[in-house]
Amino acid sequence: MRFMMLMIPKGYEQAAPGTMPDAKAVAAMMKYNESLQKAGVLLALDGLHPPSMGARVSFSGGKPKVTDGPFAEAKEVLGGYWMIQVKSKEEAIQWASRCPGSDNEVIEIRQVQEFTDFPPDVQEAAAKFPEMQAKSGQR
Amino acid sequence: MRFMILVKATKDSEAGILPDEQLLAEMGNYNEELVKAGAMLAGEGLQPSSKGARIRYAGTKRTVIDGPFAETKELVAGFWLIQVKSRDEAIEWLKRAPFKEGEVEIRQVFEAEDFGPAFTSELREQEERLRAQIAAKH
Repeated sequence: MRFMMLMIPKGYEQAAPGTMPDAKAVAAMMKYNESLQKAGVLLALDGLHPPSMGARVSFSGGKPKVTDGPFAEAKEVLGGYWMIQVKSKEEAIQWASRCPGSDNEVIEIRQVQEFTDFPPDVQEAAAKFPEMQAKSGQR
Repeated sequence: MRFMILVKATKDSEAGILPDEQLLAEMGNYNEELVKAGAMLAGEGLQPSSKGARIRYAGTKRTVIDGPFAETKELVAGFWLIQVKSRDEAIEWLKRAPFKEGEVEIRQVFEAEDFGPAFTSELREQEERLRAQIAAKH
């Protein structure tokens, strides 16, 4: 099973453009990343620049509307993520518990939808999806 | 530049209601365009937050909270990782997404060079080794 671990750092919703993580925190996190990697569970990981450098596109009535960040109403935003391959949700929770998180941080664990999770009619409509995933891939 | 596109949850996605055949077909075509343009790096949908959990950190203490989580609009239902030349190009791609409602958030991904000297050669080596090992696994 694949799980996404979503890092939600409280306060990041208000971070100024160009805000960088603390080198000490990054060093601790890299040790943790290495332990995930050594265990063979790590599939991908990334950090995200603050929302003040981002944008949102909303689709009310199918019409795209662009709003530049920061997003005043946001109570929590994503700071980064890990994609892991484990045997159960419990194993994912154990891995997240070992993360050197600080008091302002929360990790949300969410299972990734696999093609085989879908009913037959949805699988048929999304038939090209596995091939598409194979063609894209991280570079 | 890499951007992560966060698809925000809706009442339907949180209720586990899957998109209908038409939207799936439109999304398939849109994904195909992304792939053809060489912009698509990854894309996934997430199961509803009711099947997920949160871990809260306080010193060495960890608190596990089972889903669902209340703030539907703040939750992520899926994502794309895309490679484009600018933030504007990312926005243009997303304007063309076949959504009839809802919202996506566009966020630039940190690259090693963004960190400057704080990202020491030792840390950089470690990061490169990690990524190479991940890539070799796929």
